[in-house]
Amino acid sequence: MIKRLVLDVLKPHNPSVVELSEALSHLEGIDGVNVIIYEIDQQVENVKIIIAGTSIDFENIKKRLKEMGATIHSVDEVAAGNRIVEEVGTPQDKSARM
Amino acid sequence: MSGEDEKLSLPGVVKRLIKRVRAFFQRTRMYLRITQMSPIARRYFIKNGFDGSMTLLGIIVGSWIVGVTKPEIIVTAGLGACLAMGLSGIFGAYMTERAERMRHLKTLEDTMLSDLSGSVLSDASDFVSLYAAFVDGASPILTAVIAIIPFILTLTGTFAIWDAYIVSLALTLATLFSLGLYLGRIAKENMLLYGAITLAAGVITITVALILGAI
Repeated sequence: MIKRLVLDVLKPHNPSVVELSEALSHLEGIDGVNVIIYEIDQQVENVKIIIAGTSIDFENIKKRLKEMGATIHSVDEVAAGNRIVEEVGTPQDKSARM
Repeated sequence: MSGEDEKLSLPGVVKRLIKRVRAFFQRTRMYLRITQMSPIARRYFIKNGFDGSMTLLGIIVGSWIVGVTKPEIIVTAGLGACLAMGLSGIFGAYMTERAERMRHLKTLEDTMLSDLSGSVLSDASDFVSLYAAFVDGASPILTAVIAIIPFILTLTGTFAIWDAYIVSLALTLATLFSLGLYLGRIAKENMLLYGAITLAAGVITITVALILGAI
């Protein structure tokens, strides 16, 4: 059971982020959607989509995004199971940055 | 009542029909928004509506000058013009709009490095090509039919032919004025001024045709 999904998506300017978020939020098993634009090009824009729900169907998400003319660049975060586990900092993260 | 019975009952059928119609209009609105078609359709409507009115104005004034007294001649000529303008609008707009939309879609596919067939963008491109064809074809027919109505009424014996000429010219000029008012509303400027300009186009056409007829 996927409960949270963070996607990096490339989409045309139209349908807008409003229409895209509405289309995703109407899918079964989804409680909320957040779409953030972080890069705008002449014809396309890059958006970060955060989806939260009780039982997210990834295949449905992919299908709906394709219908809206968008493509998934990468799946940046997935939280699944009975409880959402947040990312925690570890000493390794610190050493990796040094 | 079980779920299956409710589906087959009249209120159930009506409810589903209303739902489908609502979904169709929602989808249409989305397609128009995605393709930003509304301003283009407005242009098609005004431009071809204007064409329809002016063409019929020419036919009516020309018929008046040569003294046509048979309404069926004007009705036939008018309907012929309607048909030609309508078909020209439908095919012209469909082909033009489709070519432009396909070009845009292919450019977008190249930019996104993905296939957009089956997406809402592809569906919207197909839909708005038909929508443009409908607006482009229907607008001259609509404005032209307004000008023919008095002559159709003459055929049924409601109007005398010379009265039909006067009523038809008045209706045509009113149509041109209305198109101008609508343009003024779109431009958010003086509607009466726009109305006066489009009305002047009609008056100039009548004047020039009368002068040429006198020569």
